[in-house]
Amino acid sequence: MTDGPVIRLRGVTKVYGQSGVPVHALRGVDLDVAPGEFTTLAGPSGSGKTTLLNIIGALDHPTAGEVEVAGRDLAQMHRGDAAQFRLDHVGFVFQAYNLVPVLTAYENAEFTLLLRGAPPAERKGIVQPLLQRVGLGDMMHRKPHELSGGQQQRVAVVRALATSPSIVLADEPTANLDSESSEALLVVMAELNRDLGTTFLFSSHDPVVIERARRVVELLDGRVDGRRPAARLP
Amino acid sequence: MLWRIAWRNLWRHRGRTLIMASAVALSYALMLVSMGINDDAHGRMLREAARAAGGDILVHGTDYWDTRASDIVIAHADSVAARIARVAGVRAVVPRVLIGGLVGTATDTRPVLLQGIRPEHEIAMRDIAEDLKAGSFLAGERADPIVLGSRLVERLEAELGDRIILTATEPNGEVTRALFHLTGILETGTRQLDEVIGYTTLEAAQRAVAMPGMVTQIGLLTEADADVAEVAARVEEALAARDSLEVLAWQEAVPEMVGLVEIDDAFGYIYLIVIYAVVLFSITNTFLMAVMERVREFGLLNALGLTGARVGRLMLNESVLMTVLAMGLGLALGLAGHLAIAHWGISMASWGMEEVEVAGIDFSDMVMYSTINPLKWGIGSVVVALATIGSAVYPAWRASRLAPAEAMRFYE
Repeated sequence: MTDGPVIRLRGVTKVYGQSGVPVHALRGVDLDVAPGEFTTLAGPSGSGKTTLLNIIGALDHPTAGEVEVAGRDLAQMHRGDAAQFRLDHVGFVFQAYNLVPVLTAYENAEFTLLLRGAPPAERKGIVQPLLQRVGLGDMMHRKPHELSGGQQQRVAVVRALATSPSIVLADEPTANLDSESSEALLVVMAELNRDLGTTFLFSSHDPVVIERARRVVELLDGRVDGRRPAARLP
Repeated sequence: MLWRIAWRNLWRHRGRTLIMASAVALSYALMLVSMGINDDAHGRMLREAARAAGGDILVHGTDYWDTRASDIVIAHADSVAARIARVAGVRAVVPRVLIGGLVGTATDTRPVLLQGIRPEHEIAMRDIAEDLKAGSFLAGERADPIVLGSRLVERLEAELGDRIILTATEPNGEVTRALFHLTGILETGTRQLDEVIGYTTLEAAQRAVAMPGMVTQIGLLTEADADVAEVAARVEEALAARDSLEVLAWQEAVPEMVGLVEIDDAFGYIYLIVIYAVVLFSITNTFLMAVMERVREFGLLNALGLTGARVGRLMLNESVLMTVLAMGLGLALGLAGHLAIAHWGISMASWGMEEVEVAGIDFSDMVMYSTINPLKWGIGSVVVALATIGSAVYPAWRASRLAPAEAMRFYE
């Protein structure tokens, strides 16, 4: 880690369908996110939010530009290295299908720790308190289909935080939740951000999420929109 | 963790897993039972063929078996037989004079394969008297008895006690005629055999074709646990000084039966391969479908830090677990089938083999049992295991190649 931004993007471009009709998902995005920020990428559907999160999370490569996350250059990172990078530095909370269906809440939450080879006692010491903190202490042994959407997202948040990652990327985490569950989830994440100092970067067009963010970056047509303030405080 | 996920994934689609496992289990059990029956049947056929040929090991004058020439004989038969009898692994020594000639009555003349034998020696090989239809089997006082097949007797329009004239060639090339009296009629159950077969005593045969002290063939039976090829080599060594003799293990003596068994084995394997290929294709297809259904899940695992190789391994683990489950079930079914067939047997006649005879073996009264050949079962099991696990290799490779960002967009 450096003292500079944990996420640093310069001129990031992503073009899909290069063999056919080119679709410009991102058009030269510049962005810095400092450690501990609680930031939301806002914008309408198709504005490039998910693509940008995928590139920051080493799930995808940019067509051009510089991508530096946690001090690592991700622009042309090899697949195997990218998987290890994600395991070491990134926590994910997706919009849906967040959990491995055949594992219990506890097993899902400890999954990334297990991949990192953490012994059972260490995994238990990390995962159990986090699950209790997000209100799932008595649901640890339930399978995903036995949990509500909000509870599943909270398990995903615990899993994302279990390895103490440099950043947590949350792609539309409240999209499938009712407003009460959305609020509860955001409260949990905001508390964890405050207490653990973990950097959170959301993509969302949900006003509840945008209201909770301490910084909002507006994306429009693959660019950071200059017409609205790039940051605002609640 | 991968094994735990793999095991639970198998039971996510219980019906599908059970159908796949049942297909593998049934084809594996079928393979084991087929191997058991084939090994037993082939063993019996070969043993019967060896008996029909005259023994586990045959000793003749050199080149007799190929040429059947009447001038190729074993001189000083008693001393040769005594020497052979001392060889380790030899259980019985059965001397014979084999005559290819004609038998005639006043009515007709017919070809005959006449064997001059010692019934008390021959019984170690087989009790020929069991096939007796009428008369006695070389047991009377007569010095010139002859026992003929029932159809041959019919053609000759002969009756017990009638005179039978044998025309044959002596070792010196002279054609000779000898008088016999019909003392018995055999019915072996095989029409072709009953049309040509005939027996007389060794001494009567020797007199008939001027072979005093000589025989055409010495058949040997080996001890049950003896290796026939090794005993044959020892017999050859014991007879080394007599370079005019040939020693044939039964495999050399009845190559047509060995060939038949090899062909039958080959067809059996082809049949099993075809059945198993169909099963494997359906398993591969099912695994591929599973990959398509679980693109999002594989994308998630990959996004969380599971490398592509480990995602592929997850798929292979599922295949390994399914294989272990299916083969365990198949082994139980196969063993049950083997034990049932080994106990009760299957009659070849019930398979429409009443009139089938190969290399002198009558299949109509043969009952097939099952015998486990551990090496064959072991090799077969390893092949089935590798093939079943291998059927998931391509789906696993596909799963390992999924790009996480695209996989996560799947079904969005």
